[in-house]
Amino acid sequence: MGNLELILEKHTERIHHGLEVLPTLRHGVPEGLGNQRWTGELILATYEQALTGEIPENGLEYKTGNSGGGFDVLGWRSHEGVAKVDEDSVDLSVSLNKRHEGRKIEIPLPIYGGGMSFGSISLNFMIARARAARKLKTYTSTGEGGYPDQIVPYRDHVITQVATGMFGVREETIQYAPIVEFKYAQGAKPGLGGHLLADKVTSEVAKMRESSMFTSLYSPFPFHSVYSVEDHKKHVDWIKTVNPRALVSVKVSTPTDVDMVAIGSYYAGANIIHIDGGYGGTGAAPEIAKKNIAMPIEYAIPKVHEYLSSEGVRDQITLMASGGIRTADDIAKAIALGADGCVIGTAEAVAVGCTHCGNCERGRGCQVGITTTDPELSQLIDPEWGEKRIVNLFNAWSKRLRMILASFGLESVKDLRGRKDLLVRYK
Amino acid sequence: MEEVGYKRFRIEPKPAPHVYQIPNKFDVSARKLRLAAMLVHEAFEYRLNKEVVLSRPCIYGVFGGHFGGFKPLKHKCVGCMRCVQEYPHIMTVKQSDSYKRLGDSFWTPENVYTVWNEASTGKIPVKGMGYKGAFAGEGFDGMWTDMSEIVRPTRDGVYGREYISTSVDIGRKPTSIDFAKIDYQPKSLEIPVPIIFDELPTGTDTADIRASVGLASEKIGTLNISRDIRHRETGVNNVLPIIDEKVIADNEERDQPEIAEFDAETPGLLDRLLARFDRSILIARLPLREDSGSAASRLVRQGVHGLHLYADYHGQDYSKDTHHISTALKDVHQQLVREGLRDKVTIIASGGITLAEHVPKAIICGADLVAIDTTVLVALQAEFKGETRDRANHHLRPRRINPEWGAQRLVNLIGVWHDQLIEILSAMGMRDVRRLRGDIGRSMMDLELREQSFKGIAWAT
Repeated sequence: MGNLELILEKHTERIHHGLEVLPTLRHGVPEGLGNQRWTGELILATYEQALTGEIPENGLEYKTGNSGGGFDVLGWRSHEGVAKVDEDSVDLSVSLNKRHEGRKIEIPLPIYGGGMSFGSISLNFMIARARAARKLKTYTSTGEGGYPDQIVPYRDHVITQVATGMFGVREETIQYAPIVEFKYAQGAKPGLGGHLLADKVTSEVAKMRESSMFTSLYSPFPFHSVYSVEDHKKHVDWIKTVNPRALVSVKVSTPTDVDMVAIGSYYAGANIIHIDGGYGGTGAAPEIAKKNIAMPIEYAIPKVHEYLSSEGVRDQITLMASGGIRTADDIAKAIALGADGCVIGTAEAVAVGCTHCGNCERGRGCQVGITTTDPELSQLIDPEWGEKRIVNLFNAWSKRLRMILASFGLESVKDLRGRKDLLVRYK
Repeated sequence: MEEVGYKRFRIEPKPAPHVYQIPNKFDVSARKLRLAAMLVHEAFEYRLNKEVVLSRPCIYGVFGGHFGGFKPLKHKCVGCMRCVQEYPHIMTVKQSDSYKRLGDSFWTPENVYTVWNEASTGKIPVKGMGYKGAFAGEGFDGMWTDMSEIVRPTRDGVYGREYISTSVDIGRKPTSIDFAKIDYQPKSLEIPVPIIFDELPTGTDTADIRASVGLASEKIGTLNISRDIRHRETGVNNVLPIIDEKVIADNEERDQPEIAEFDAETPGLLDRLLARFDRSILIARLPLREDSGSAASRLVRQGVHGLHLYADYHGQDYSKDTHHISTALKDVHQQLVREGLRDKVTIIASGGITLAEHVPKAIICGADLVAIDTTVLVALQAEFKGETRDRANHHLRPRRINPEWGAQRLVNLIGVWHDQLIEILSAMGMRDVRRLRGDIGRSMMDLELREQSFKGIAWAT
């Protein structure tokens, strides 16, 4: 073994060992770890769940962050006096196609992976996510950076994203897909389009995106072919012509009129409306966009859910929420607010060692090989190891979801949808 | 030959690195005995293979000095925590004490750092992995701007294929066309960005800082407000003077300034100014408090061309029961709208405008443009020595600077705020910042959304 391999092996082992040791709190919660949304404890609790597949039992806070609002000020009503059901019998499956026509797809847990593009994340992490999706019988999304060949073996569990840059969108990548996702906007930079900084556009990324190396890539915004619901319908028709079996998801951000956008998407033929709030996101984004544009997902979910219900179409479209969903409790709260399920990105990255430091776009990219295209750093994520960590995390989340549902006597996650009455607010 | 025709407004940034050392954000340290023991252990494990043993767990070079982890290069640490992940029993990374001491109770260390970096680089702050702060907060922090899924111009406006105007007019605007006075030109002045420099805290207006602000105003084409206009050598054409009785008396022969501010609470001053400077654009400086709406309405009826409504440096108005400038500003704006007076005057807002996002939010709350104060000094690396609440009651200590450097820092700052304003406008699908004024409907308030969306959720007991 050469020195380079030895060095890689040394650091990979050390990182893996650290991820195992840190949640034991033998050294306390590292002072510099985390922030208000992803607290140090929450990060360690995620490491712990990714290691064991179990709900943490060592006192780590694994349910909420400390942002002072949204999910962090919502809790669960007392379930005293409620007849519980057996946790193992609780059904977590949700349907991704509630329409009468089209292919029926059901996922066994109310979670699938969000779009993180090749170029913004390493290929190894992308493969780990795809493998985890296959294992869990759910889905992951390509993001807008194209469809690497190494992902093709997992194609039955990969959503092809069609975004404004159309990077890597080809007939075969649409034909592979059980679900095609139109990305109109993303929560981290609503109304601004994608942005891949020059440092990350390596030869492989440039080839995949049919662009020049080390040149910043901006996806235009909006789709210049879509200026109305009718135009959007043409988009949906295009996908259904190329791949009649594919379900169509429409990913949008959360403007004031997000409810109108949702109903428009329904009438254009979408199977899934995916709303992405402003506080999540994994890619590079101007700081001003993250905090200040569009509403947080906690406020958008009830708005959309209630409007679709009042229009009488709620049971014909699946509402997926993303953008700041960090824990199983966040998922359950999102569902109680009206979503059918959640789309997860950041938590998968935390499962494999992300510290939420936000340096993804600096220099060589992520220090533990997640959001990087650096060939050396990318090797720090072994796809098989990453798969296990993500699967474990979602298994732990499933247990927590079952625990919440069982405590309220609910036999199915579908019964939790829109049950705001089960939530309480803290000041 | 002078170039004629269309020229797109753009502020060119140039690096203007910090000249005074800034505190390291992170304090990285190693337990030295454990580090030594670990090196011995690894030396055995890797059979004295120096390259492997000494390969560092940092991709930013923190341990790249001669003494590695024994003397880390703290200024290189970005807080990624990889060293802690690899060696949790040896390494510690935390925010440094000197970083945590930056600013005052309003200016957070993060905000000071943000302004420093904007002034230094002229680049929009970009980071990965989502938002990391509080869910919402008081004033501007409890407010989100709207966006549009499908309306142009959007990001194309940021990168040059479409144009988004950030120009604003200062002065009185005609409310209708009067054919009897068809040649009458209303008094107004156009500036290319809705940001001007306010007068600075008492005692901080040194010659170097005055020169920096003057030069920057000239380069950008904006204005700087100053009470003392006697010693101006640079940027004299861009000064927006504050005129008082003394100035009127001292400048009997002086030409009328194109634009001037005055303290609205000085009795009778407005009448004398209207008589003396009948060709000038007159802006009344008015502190925001309970009665600002009626005071503003009275001033507009008396004939002022603009209002400069100011809160203190922490963005709080001067009411007994204080409000954030966003609330106070909205109240005045809406009263003027109700009375049919709003379109007759320009509103300049200042106090607590310390981040790029505050500009569009203040405009949504009713301002036409903003004036910045302590932010200027922060960009020029002035030091906080305590609370800095208002002009007379502050603990900001300016440093000696080179005016050219200072000017470039301010040009960078305004340039990057301009770019971020365009980000917001483009996300909203707006081509002109003037359309944003008072457009509350294109904003979302935490308090309102919370009540709508969490309706039906009981309070925890």
